[in-house]
Amino acid sequence: MSVKNSAKRRPPIRLGFGDKVFYTINALFLGLMALIVIYPLYFIVIAAISDPDAVLGGKVVLYPVQITMDGFKRILQEKSIWTGYLNTIIYTALTVVLSLAVTVPAGWALSRKTVPGKKLWMIYFIIPMFFGGGLIPFYNVMSSLGLVGSMWSVILPSILSVWNLFMTKTFFESSIPDGLVEAAKIDGAGEYRIFTSLVLPLSKAILAVMALYYAIGQWNSYFNAMIFLQDEAKYPLQLVLKEILIASESTMGGSGETILEQYRMANQIKYVSVIVSSVPVLLLYPFVQKYFSQGVMIGSLKG
Amino acid sequence: MASLTLRDITKVYPNAEGGQKKKKKKHQVEEPGKEKANLQITDEGVVAVQKFNLDIADREFIVLVGPSGCGKSTTLRMIAGLEEISSGELYIGDRLVNEVAPKDRDIAMVFQSYALYPHMTVYENMAFSLKLKKTPKDEIERKVREAAEILDITQYLDRKPKALSGGQRQRVAIGRAIVRSPQVLLMDEPLSNLDAKLRNQMRAEIIKLRQKISTTFIYVTHDQTEAMTLGDRIVIMKDGFIQQIGTPQEVFNHPVNLFVAGFIGMPQMNFFENSKLTNDNGVYEVEVMGKKLRLTDSQQKALKEKKQGPCNVVLGIRPVHMTIDEGDFSGKIEVSEMMGSELHLHMDAEGNDVVAIIPTVGIDLAAHSIGKTVKFAFRPDLVHLFDAESGLNLL
Amino acid sequence: MRKVKAGPDGAALTADMSPRRLKARRRWRRLRENHPFLVMLLPAVLVVFLFNYLPIYGVLIAFQDFMPGDPILGKYTRWIGFENFTRFFTDVQFWPLMKNTFLLCIIGFVIGFPLPIIIALMLNAMKGRRMSKVLQTIFNGPHFISLVVLVGMLTLFFGRYGLVNNIVAGLGGERKSYFLESGAFRPLYILSSNWQDFGWSAIIYIAALSNVDPGQHEAAILDGASRFQRVLHVDLPAIMPMISVMLIMSIGGLMGVGYEKALLMQTDGNLGVSELIATYVYKQGLTGVPNQGYATAIGLFNSIINVVLLIIANTTSKKFSENSLW
Repeated sequence: MSVKNSAKRRPPIRLGFGDKVFYTINALFLGLMALIVIYPLYFIVIAAISDPDAVLGGKVVLYPVQITMDGFKRILQEKSIWTGYLNTIIYTALTVVLSLAVTVPAGWALSRKTVPGKKLWMIYFIIPMFFGGGLIPFYNVMSSLGLVGSMWSVILPSILSVWNLFMTKTFFESSIPDGLVEAAKIDGAGEYRIFTSLVLPLSKAILAVMALYYAIGQWNSYFNAMIFLQDEAKYPLQLVLKEILIASESTMGGSGETILEQYRMANQIKYVSVIVSSVPVLLLYPFVQKYFSQGVMIGSLKG
Repeated sequence: MASLTLRDITKVYPNAEGGQKKKKKKHQVEEPGKEKANLQITDEGVVAVQKFNLDIADREFIVLVGPSGCGKSTTLRMIAGLEEISSGELYIGDRLVNEVAPKDRDIAMVFQSYALYPHMTVYENMAFSLKLKKTPKDEIERKVREAAEILDITQYLDRKPKALSGGQRQRVAIGRAIVRSPQVLLMDEPLSNLDAKLRNQMRAEIIKLRQKISTTFIYVTHDQTEAMTLGDRIVIMKDGFIQQIGTPQEVFNHPVNLFVAGFIGMPQMNFFENSKLTNDNGVYEVEVMGKKLRLTDSQQKALKEKKQGPCNVVLGIRPVHMTIDEGDFSGKIEVSEMMGSELHLHMDAEGNDVVAIIPTVGIDLAAHSIGKTVKFAFRPDLVHLFDAESGLNLL
Repeated sequence: MRKVKAGPDGAALTADMSPRRLKARRRWRRLRENHPFLVMLLPAVLVVFLFNYLPIYGVLIAFQDFMPGDPILGKYTRWIGFENFTRFFTDVQFWPLMKNTFLLCIIGFVIGFPLPIIIALMLNAMKGRRMSKVLQTIFNGPHFISLVVLVGMLTLFFGRYGLVNNIVAGLGGERKSYFLESGAFRPLYILSSNWQDFGWSAIIYIAALSNVDPGQHEAAILDGASRFQRVLHVDLPAIMPMISVMLIMSIGGLMGVGYEKALLMQTDGNLGVSELIATYVYKQGLTGVPNQGYATAIGLFNSIINVVLLIIANTTSKKFSENSLW
């Protein structure tokens, strides 16, 4: 039965055989993808609350075995994680505040047609998107600015992403009507007043998106901290996690027995630390994912 | 309250690269549709407004009217200070304001889109400009309440614009403009976002408002009915040029050219092309569809004074000035629109589309149905004659 | 200040001025009126200058015999021309590095570029709107996992006593640490990247798809097109411009693979395939005995390849379609 025939007899609501097959395969495939995405995350959770021996013995596959909270108890004693946590919170908060203060006014200015030298500024901001000095000159600049070893080496380079700047600009261009700005001008507002009394109150969406982008970026980053910070007391969470989760694998040699023992000791803490470190982001995620995709869509308006 | 003087105001949009590209694209899209404004292009760019001269008296109500792209909005925005004046001089009162920022011009403006601040209540919207001027609080309160009273929006003062209907928003927009008692109140198509019924109502409101506040109004619209009913004087524009400035009567009774004649008046004036003006021993006659029409004495006099020679003309007559069932001309009815108190007959008379408006009282509808041929006539003293080449009114 | 130009003498001012002076004055006035925008731009300009433009200037050390702590342009600067570059081209590591970088990028691109497009088309073609939204939320999730955690998860799953080995052993296979196997590096790297980002990369296409005029679909239905045919003939053409732009962008960034992740995944066992140009730069310049001029030269070489690729991609796209970045 072809689509045409069934469409003739009834409105197109009734599906043809071909379409039924298509929708089924489509749904099955996407469902499979969802499983692939979810299972590893699910496994982390059940492994963290299962008995470590059961995990190592391969008994934990679909559900937790011999539920225990030992891992969580032990991680409470891991001081480095909590210093890292605190550091990351500080770095993230400062990054968000500073980045908004830098990105939002600049985005507004770039979205105005009358900004003097607009084209030149655009080129100025576009060039770094495609060409950079590379790692070593960047390190040297940070070093001559005296930032190496300071927490500002982690914060300052992250307070402006050109992508985010252009996204903000596009948002302003598309969502603040010219008429409003003109009305404010006639009402007697200057450019600063327009920005604070009109633009900012109307831009909560983009402020939220930008704050989240910068926050997640900072929360998840490790590289700058790794090359610029020596003092472990200043390590952000990700760097601490790196030590816990990864550093051990390559150095581990020796007989199977000792490896197994090491695994037993460390394994549970690994699963738990993955959870603990990702909790803030994961808790936030369902609430903010709307904003996140909005951000991407704002960015895509230009294309 | 102030007079305004516009001297040779001109607006040229420089031929920016991007601009040109956009224009090209637009043209491709719009070409098959309605005709696009025919703006003059010079070396410096596209001329949107050309040598605009106008003296506006204190408390006058001036309406700028014309089809889209004629430069009326640009002119208004130049007065507001939202567009730079390319050349010419603009005085508000005695003060040259070309280079004065909008906020220092003592003007207020009502936008087509209302442009209400969505995050502020109606009260805050109206109070915003006063607050910026550092007006004392109790005075703001008094002025806002007064304006709200005039516009009958007192009960909405605590609401946000989102919670208002289109008509109410329009009132708030007007309220925001009048609280500051500006010297000049500019209105940019303020009614075009409203539906027909509300538009009529608001038009009446604006007429009333005029009595209550004393200020100079400049009002932009593309709707000739609004222009006729609101304006003390009407400025008709096309392609950046002023076509005619005059009272509603003047522009209706004596349109200076074909464009104004066609633009003002609904339905449009009937035009008989291929007419001839003849001068037979000092007596002027018009030959329309093979029939000769003798002009009245005053028309004769006017033509004589101009020493007008014989030429090809377009004869114009308004639909309301037509009579039917008598006379020398005849046409076949193509469409008959019964409007209640009057009947609109669309006829084909030797290839000319002719519309006649006749009262329905005592008329035989069956005799004026589609396909019937009827006779029609018009009084010579009500015809308009336009030069076929220049389009100028000859009388 | 502003009112100076007003007043009765204003008329004389404008009338008497030559067009050129008038223009200059107008420009000055515009600048004065719009200077707040410049103030708003200033912090961003400064940040970009410090952290993006100063390093570009610092690239000069690629042409120097540079020791950490030297000024970039000083009395004792020793210019050595392209010596650092020739040294890299003759380095025994050169070909392995090029091969590792290119292979990782190209395989990653071949899998990672079409996948989000397919997913977006499929999500868009789902019958239930709400289900499609739920799936999107799930697919976006892994994007927010940090690299460290992601690689940590990989070690947990693919380590000698991880889940995968447990399953393999259960099936009678032999346990091995995939992290020490050089053959496993690229699959692990690429598959985990796709796992993390395919949903996120699909958003932009989903956005483009949601802008497709439903009328087009209805017209196609009336013409007798099946849902699959509509995907091919309505949806896909609608996102073609977006695909071109993304293609250019990803080709431009082809060589800029996530070296931060490669660095995390490196072990002694897989170094032969996991050492990339960028990780080599890091090691040469910042670890051991720093060799900064050399490392910078390698980095510069890498960025130049990127820019050249970008230009080629853009010109090609311009030639064959209307889409281009500039």
